[in-house]
Amino acid sequence: MNNDSPAKAFLVVLLVAVVCSSLVSAAVVILRPIQLNNQLLDRSRNIMQLTGLLSAGAEPGDEEMLALYKSLDSRIVDIDQGSFDSTVNADTFDKRRAASNPELSVVVPAEYDQARLGRRSRYAPVYLVWQENKLDRIILPIRGAAMWSTLYGYLALEADLNTVAAATFYEHAETPGLGDQITRPDWLAQWQGRQIYDAQGELRFAVSAGRVEPGSSKAQYEVDALTGATVTADAVTSLVHYWLGPHGYKPFLDQLREQPPVQSSPDTVEGS
Amino acid sequence: MSLKQSLVTPLLKENPVTLHVLGICAALAITNSLTSSLIMSAAMTIVLVISNATISMIRKHLPNSVRIIVQITIIASAVTVIDQLLTAFLPETARTLSVYISLIVTNCIVLGRAEACAMKSSVGTSILDALGNGLGYGVVLVIVATIRELFGKGSLMGYRILELVQDGGWFQPNEMLMLPPSAFFIIGFMVWVIRSWKTEQQERSDFEPILLAVEEEGS
Amino acid sequence: MSSFIDIFFRSVFLENLALAYFLGMCTFLAVSKQVKTTLGLGITVIVVEGISVPLNNLIYNLLLRDGALGWLQLGHLDFSFLGLLSQIAVIAAMIQILEMVLNRFFPALYNTLGVYLPLLTVNCAILGASLFMVQRDYNFTESVAYGLGAGFGWALAIVALAGLREKMKYCDVPEGLQGLGITFITTGLLSLAFMGIAGIQF
Repeated sequence: MNNDSPAKAFLVVLLVAVVCSSLVSAAVVILRPIQLNNQLLDRSRNIMQLTGLLSAGAEPGDEEMLALYKSLDSRIVDIDQGSFDSTVNADTFDKRRAASNPELSVVVPAEYDQARLGRRSRYAPVYLVWQENKLDRIILPIRGAAMWSTLYGYLALEADLNTVAAATFYEHAETPGLGDQITRPDWLAQWQGRQIYDAQGELRFAVSAGRVEPGSSKAQYEVDALTGATVTADAVTSLVHYWLGPHGYKPFLDQLREQPPVQSSPDTVEGS
Repeated sequence: MSLKQSLVTPLLKENPVTLHVLGICAALAITNSLTSSLIMSAAMTIVLVISNATISMIRKHLPNSVRIIVQITIIASAVTVIDQLLTAFLPETARTLSVYISLIVTNCIVLGRAEACAMKSSVGTSILDALGNGLGYGVVLVIVATIRELFGKGSLMGYRILELVQDGGWFQPNEMLMLPPSAFFIIGFMVWVIRSWKTEQQERSDFEPILLAVEEEGS
Repeated sequence: MSSFIDIFFRSVFLENLALAYFLGMCTFLAVSKQVKTTLGLGITVIVVEGISVPLNNLIYNLLLRDGALGWLQLGHLDFSFLGLLSQIAVIAAMIQILEMVLNRFFPALYNTLGVYLPLLTVNCAILGASLFMVQRDYNFTESVAYGLGAGFGWALAIVALAGLREKMKYCDVPEGLQGLGITFITTGLLSLAFMGIAGIQF
């Protein structure tokens, strides 16, 4: 067949399209389970390091990490109602996808939107860590816009729902060496023991403008500044203020204080 | 040209990045990490080899009217497969690199070699040409990344080499090397070095001063 | 409305495709010798980006993303892996059509701008804008803002660089650095300058 005939052109294009799409689709179908497993492993690592269940220096393998993660009590919270919601499946809920789905998300009103979220999902997956049948920690997902990117992290609160047990930022694209100090273990270690609210219930947690003087009135609420990364540091303060404020988890935490959660028995955890 | 020449020429004499100004887009933003650069170079070389080989195989049956779009389709398919493989087996790096891997589709080197070499040569020559160009690209990336990571963070591929002052050591990292523009400066200096050595690669200035003849005294 | 302006300004100054992400460099460095030529190229890029990003957004949201095919009762299908292929095909086709339309209906415009169009098919900046749009999950209005902003930012960068290069023609640049070398270094400095604008909040 002549190379310049339209029929030949059509045939070649058709063949190339069929072969290429088959190969690409085959690759995707074969690799999808591995990719999903990786995502799950990733999330399990991020959360497990905040639970306090891993002994210091322990490096569990992938299988063990997944098993530990699956044994956590994960529940869905309806943020606006401030209560647990058992109608949504905690294992398959994708909070990021939900944030852009109009049915599963709400618009953040401008006066609360210091974290520049725009919309946020109505539901959030939280993790309850139990020690000897008592609530030890609760892990909350948080996010907010910073200088170059959105920061995604988790905040772990002690049983008093005020003191920080641990925090982590597992995804960001801030300036290397400056904004990315938010992942420095020594800075994140300072968060431990800091209080979010004061005795009057006002939001006091912040990343300080300078060095925090131990013994000053602000010492229990603030962590040190990040050199050269004021915008990122302010963004961290803003996002903590949003998520622990009236449009975030505060209604939920208030309700939890009045009505402490009950550790579900193993079979209901599986079934929800 | 001989097979060995096909492989070696793109490395220095006709290095795609420094002579032909090709394919540097991705080369710069990710060179703050040696690991990312190595993986990026590997991905680029694999895509080059696959696309060159495939296009060379079908070159005699490719009508002119659909030539470019077929080439792009083949390259895009190869890139999608590589991207999926990376997400599956190297997930952390995949997250940093994902946009740049996808941009290999529009990388001037890949299309340039497809047009210049794969459309005209046998499969064997095309593959070697692809390997040579991939290596040439990789060499530049690795050099820039080594400088940036070693002097910007004191580490190489994540392993600490120089003790940082903030960890009690002596090395004060050069913070500018961690910012993207530093890659431009490094490549600028590399081009300077290469062109001072291989002067035939120098560009002539647009304005050459006109030498006026000087009358000799007493002639 | 504020989100529209916010995204527009962010993509022009803070997330400039040419100076912060270094996309579209090949054309950038090859064509930026004269301000006149770069103005033409810049306008072409704004038009192409302004059309391709929203178009790709529509295709992604209506056909490709996970659950997008709900309107065909096929909501369980996820074709997002075809994103790259479809984006580059859409861009190539769109540029081809634009070229033909310009040639037929606006020949004067075609003579000034049309020559750059085939170049843009494989320009990283055009594809890059669509890829970022998917990664950041913009809706349609946001993608219009982003497409226009990204194009405008790229155009701004290339015109600025052309201006600088025109001035540098009269400078005594060392021979090894002439042309390519000094352009790289100048672009690096320009990029550093734009980083100084980061941190402005609207």
